[in-house]
Amino acid sequence: MLLISTPFVALARSQSRILGMPALPVAVLPHPIAGTPIETVIAKLDAAFDEIVARLASPLADESASAGRSVEQGAWLDIAAADEWTDLQQAFVDRGWSDGLPFVPPTEQRVAAMQRHAGMPPDRVLGAVPPKMGAATLEKIAANAVMAGCRPEHLPIVLAAVDAMLAPAFNLYGLQTTTHCVAPLLVVNGPLAGALKVHAGNNLFGPGPWANGVIGRAIRLVLLNLGGGKPGEIDKATMGHPGKYTFCIAENEAVSPWPGLRADRGFGAEVSTVTVIGAEAPHNINDHESTTARGVLKMITGTMAQTGQNNVYYAGEPLLILCPEHAATVASEGLSKDDVKRILYEEARVPLHCFSAENIERRMLRKFPERYKDRPLDTPVTIAQCWEDMMVIVAGGPGKHSMYVPTFGGTRSVTRAVLHSDGRPWLASELGA
Amino acid sequence: MKLLSPEGQPLPLALRGATRPLKLDGLRIGLLDNTKAPVDKMMAHLEQRIAERVPGATTFYISKKHPSMAAEPEVFEALRTNADVVINALGD
Repeated sequence: MLLISTPFVALARSQSRILGMPALPVAVLPHPIAGTPIETVIAKLDAAFDEIVARLASPLADESASAGRSVEQGAWLDIAAADEWTDLQQAFVDRGWSDGLPFVPPTEQRVAAMQRHAGMPPDRVLGAVPPKMGAATLEKIAANAVMAGCRPEHLPIVLAAVDAMLAPAFNLYGLQTTTHCVAPLLVVNGPLAGALKVHAGNNLFGPGPWANGVIGRAIRLVLLNLGGGKPGEIDKATMGHPGKYTFCIAENEAVSPWPGLRADRGFGAEVSTVTVIGAEAPHNINDHESTTARGVLKMITGTMAQTGQNNVYYAGEPLLILCPEHAATVASEGLSKDDVKRILYEEARVPLHCFSAENIERRMLRKFPERYKDRPLDTPVTIAQCWEDMMVIVAGGPGKHSMYVPTFGGTRSVTRAVLHSDGRPWLASELGA
Repeated sequence: MKLLSPEGQPLPLALRGATRPLKLDGLRIGLLDNTKAPVDKMMAHLEQRIAERVPGATTFYISKKHPSMAAEPEVFEALRTNADVVINALGD
């Protein structure tokens, strides 16, 4: 039996059905529960108690209908529409297949063209996209890439990103259903980034006429149409953030003083990679004045030390995106990337007294009693569990603005090489770039 | 206009539900805490109410480690061993 509050009824019903137990009993309490005095919560629970007990040992209706549906490939539709930009757009919105922006209709010709670099059959399944567990077939991913405005040469990056998101460590199920604002941030590294114009310079988060927008949007449409992450119904984000439309960048390896993220993850120079990171929106770090590594890092750690981020509660991988000029200042004093990570871990800390009494009791003492029980209120709270969990990349254009990107916590970033179906790395020359 | 539906069909699942108990007497009720506040207190209250109101039933409380991640295999195993039904909190 599920015990939930009112906004989660649709999610509970959907998941019960998809996971094979459509008649699973659900006890619904009036929202909210969290952040409510315990006496109020207990009153809500008492009001539902008789129903909870009665349903614990009663037969489930409709259990025979519990089996999951079989995979139906294709599903070609014939939609009567006067043109591509009025009726057809609305028809997709009405079916829940749209992110709200105009899309390119996935016609037979366009979907076929999108797959021309894939080198695998259209019904090849990469996995099931949670929480709906929709089959991630090549053909369906291609259809969503068409809708997003991708070109065929972008598809290998989209496929690698989908594969990365389906890794258990990424916890896409949690990302898709949480009230947190998290979205998968794609970081592309290697020769394909430059060749396909995945932008790593100024305005890399947008706007701009490069591939970042369409690749990131394809991922969002996959999460919506294969994963079922419909906002409000299944995607329960209280706020969301603009990166939930599209969230894709490249690392600016050409100007970085250190090896890039793909090298950190053990990939060679000829390989291009995509890393997916469950990320909040980026937060700017303005420092035009510091001329030393110590100064730059002091401003950065001061920005990263925040109370409300998930990284103070859960084991996440906080991401620092150093602008090239800040990175150059830091590296000019001989600091390696690992040195920077250690400094971030040691110095980006929040004193316990900055948290509310309720959060100290409910979060800190409950989750980490060995760290905070009977400790003074100036005890520092880390934003990662170890220095190795800090992530540092270099990106952006000229200027003195770096960015801090808090992460979701219940997720690990995952890196995948952009490969042919036979395991060879994609080369820029093969994609006509 | 002929178009490909972008929607993915769910992959088949091989899950099979346990046999449903039909009486409260002797029922072992698992209480799975998702670690969100104040679920631990809610589950403690349920334990107390069940003890008072459902004679013959017993409770087994256990907590997973992270609200946004699946319960760990050992939690599932403990519930499989110690409970006939489970009350699981979801959401806020």
